[in-house]
Amino acid sequence: MNSVLPEWVYQASPAAMALLVLVALLVFRKVPLRYNMRNVLVRWRVTVLTASAFALIVALLTVMLAFVNGMYRLTEGSGQSGNVIVLSDGATDELFSNLSYSDTSNIEQEPGVERDEEGRALCSREVYIIVNQPVPNAPPGRPKRRFVQVRGVDDPRLAARVHGLSLIEGQWFSEAGVEELPSADGRVGQQVIQAILGEAVAVELAKGLYDKPRLEVGDLFELGPRTWKVVGILGPGSSTFGSEIWGKFQVVGPLFGKERYTSIVLRTADLDSARRLAEHLTKNFKQAAVQAQPEWDYYKKLNATNEQFLVSIMFVAAVMAVGGVFSIMNTMFAAISQRIKDIGVLRVLGYSRWQILASFFLESLLLALAGGLVGCAVGSLADGWTASSIVSSGQGGGKTVILRLVVDVRTLAVGLTFSLVMGAVGGILPAVSAMRIRILDALR
Amino acid sequence: MFFKLFLLMLKNLRRHLLRTSLTAVATMVLVFVVILVWSILYFLDVVTQERAKDLKAIVTERWQIPSQMPFSYADSLSRGAASKPDDIVPDDSMTWQFYGGTLDPNKRTRENLIFFFAMEPKKLRTMMDDLDTLDPELIRKMEQNKRGVIVGQERLKALNKQVGERFTVSSLNYKGIDLEFEIVGVFPQGRYDQSAVMNRDYLNDALDDYYRKRGVRHPMHDRTLNLVWLKVPDSRAFARVAEQIMTSGLYTQPAVKCETAASGISTWLDAYRDLIWGMRWLLSPAVLVTMALVVANTISISVRERLTELAVMKVLGYRPWHLLVLVLGEALLVGGLSGAASAGLTFWVINHVFGGLKFPIAFFPEFLVPRASLWWGPVLGAATAVAGSILPAWTARAVRVSEVFAKVA
Repeated sequence: MNSVLPEWVYQASPAAMALLVLVALLVFRKVPLRYNMRNVLVRWRVTVLTASAFALIVALLTVMLAFVNGMYRLTEGSGQSGNVIVLSDGATDELFSNLSYSDTSNIEQEPGVERDEEGRALCSREVYIIVNQPVPNAPPGRPKRRFVQVRGVDDPRLAARVHGLSLIEGQWFSEAGVEELPSADGRVGQQVIQAILGEAVAVELAKGLYDKPRLEVGDLFELGPRTWKVVGILGPGSSTFGSEIWGKFQVVGPLFGKERYTSIVLRTADLDSARRLAEHLTKNFKQAAVQAQPEWDYYKKLNATNEQFLVSIMFVAAVMAVGGVFSIMNTMFAAISQRIKDIGVLRVLGYSRWQILASFFLESLLLALAGGLVGCAVGSLADGWTASSIVSSGQGGGKTVILRLVVDVRTLAVGLTFSLVMGAVGGILPAVSAMRIRILDALR
Repeated sequence: MFFKLFLLMLKNLRRHLLRTSLTAVATMVLVFVVILVWSILYFLDVVTQERAKDLKAIVTERWQIPSQMPFSYADSLSRGAASKPDDIVPDDSMTWQFYGGTLDPNKRTRENLIFFFAMEPKKLRTMMDDLDTLDPELIRKMEQNKRGVIVGQERLKALNKQVGERFTVSSLNYKGIDLEFEIVGVFPQGRYDQSAVMNRDYLNDALDDYYRKRGVRHPMHDRTLNLVWLKVPDSRAFARVAEQIMTSGLYTQPAVKCETAASGISTWLDAYRDLIWGMRWLLSPAVLVTMALVVANTISISVRERLTELAVMKVLGYRPWHLLVLVLGEALLVGGLSGAASAGLTFWVINHVFGGLKFPIAFFPEFLVPRASLWWGPVLGAATAVAGSILPAWTARAVRVSEVFAKVA
């Protein structure tokens, strides 16, 4: 997740709250904690009901945050720190960019572009296409078509190296990018396009087509007006490239009417070099008007959707928290009204008003902690679930992605802190009312 | 007897005003969340629901998005590719071309970006959803002045412009075709807050002008038509028109497809399917269960505190089911009334104060809370109240007089 606060603040927040409680206990010294614990256990039905409400809210928050976390991981995992992405001037997204080879033929000669062992510039010329694909055997009530992302590259090895990807199965597509399938009688048969699939799209394309969890090397599928054959699986899947199909530029570009490149990705030494080269290309590249930016920045801009989701989630969580707060207030007010005599006795035994306040406040925190822990445990079951979504800069375009929900320490810390804050807010008023009860009134 | 029970319910609720208020507010906020979520789902269900009559079809490029077809397709597609006497011609049609750009090419921000639907102005009232009551004077102005545009209220505010003002757009998708516009009106608040519409003739004339001046066609010249909307009377007519278009030899470079608007929107929403699933089957049920738990907690506390009182009522002749009705009624009153209040407030505040719920999904920037929410609220409140109070009410019904008095003694 993205945030203005440093990472350690989130992770340390439950511990900080626990520390605060300990400090409070030290200050108040004598707090009837065992009495509170016993009450929580004796009134187990109310405890379970209140904690369940907390658990549900926290579990939901954890799942929602895990979804956004997965989106952030995906976009952050897609950009290489040393890469520069070059689009045509004015294009807000790869999808709308248009670069001709003649206008950009010398771009890899620019200073700062890294080279491989053979002296070739680490430069990948690509066309990015979103294809509208009929869904094979679409179940009733489900869309009959879907969007599939195709990337045409000149040299898959070089492109994968530039993007920090590697083959996890199969092989790269051939120089031609197509192959002939042998027919039953051994003669040359149908010509198919060779494709390398990202891990996530391999799972998506298998749905309704094959009775297996994902497409494997050798499987065939229909896309656009042609048949494609899987020749390799690309990894890791934790980037937007995991939701793409790669093919030979000279084959897939013309197939979908895009004979020009949409983007050129150049590898430099590091982020600073990438920023320098991007600025240089945008200002000084004369052959064509281009807009270059570090790939990190490009993918960071795709976080606009994530931020919208995050704001919505926090809004929903905050509103639901009001329900949780009132629930614990009810519980604690009821607990106090049932235990007025107990409060009187505690006061007679020498407990001060502040110690009574601390006692009831801690009881509400205890309920919140129990609910929060259960909620985090339930919510963490969502870790690893896959979900589809869109990442975009909010200015058109964007990428359809299949992401993995990520429940990490930070997500759990936010969930637990959220629960404790609900407990604290909901518990403070009843605790104050308990503190204000006079001994004579309580014992009367 | 029922009236007596009703009075007792009111008295009991008044007796614990704080508890009643806390439960009511908790119910209200949770009903608020459910109504917001259901409003989004309700709208998406409506727009993806296949209609049998008066349906709209979309013709787009067959294989890729964004759809970019030559404008030469427009005329014949608008007639549903009808070529034979018995072919079906759509009742109405509309073409969309997209023209987007920035008011400040040197400092491009989201605020100074604008995106136009270039179309025939007269189709605004006949083909665009919810614009059938648009002031005809605005359309006349757009037809008389090719530069005239209608802009949504929020986009206008973001651009910091007013009706009557002129501005120049440096195009991002039609490089080299920068156009000057004059704002002739604004769209009514709601669905079109972020939209803008221009006269398609202005864009097409500018493309012709580009060719005249430079001697070469604009790179986008053969890809300016993005969508064609068709209105057909029923699903049978749609099937015929779709067949006419898909089998026509006129549309090969690129090939086109014809689908119902509902089907087209479903495809766009497919990327959000898991998010929508989560809202429908995780978020909403979880909020409803939380509501039921809050009510269950309150009512069970209330019943436990009143065990002696309930026993006395039994001694006084109240039947067990009277006590059951009494407890259920209290929960129903709190849940139903706070649900109704929440629904009314949500409807008014979201629609009339905020102008809709801003939660961009696909090309829907915001959602209105439907009128149906006015009954969702009380029903949700009452249903969760009953669900949450059924066990405590049963406990009240089953209270044993002897046991209670034995404890008191």
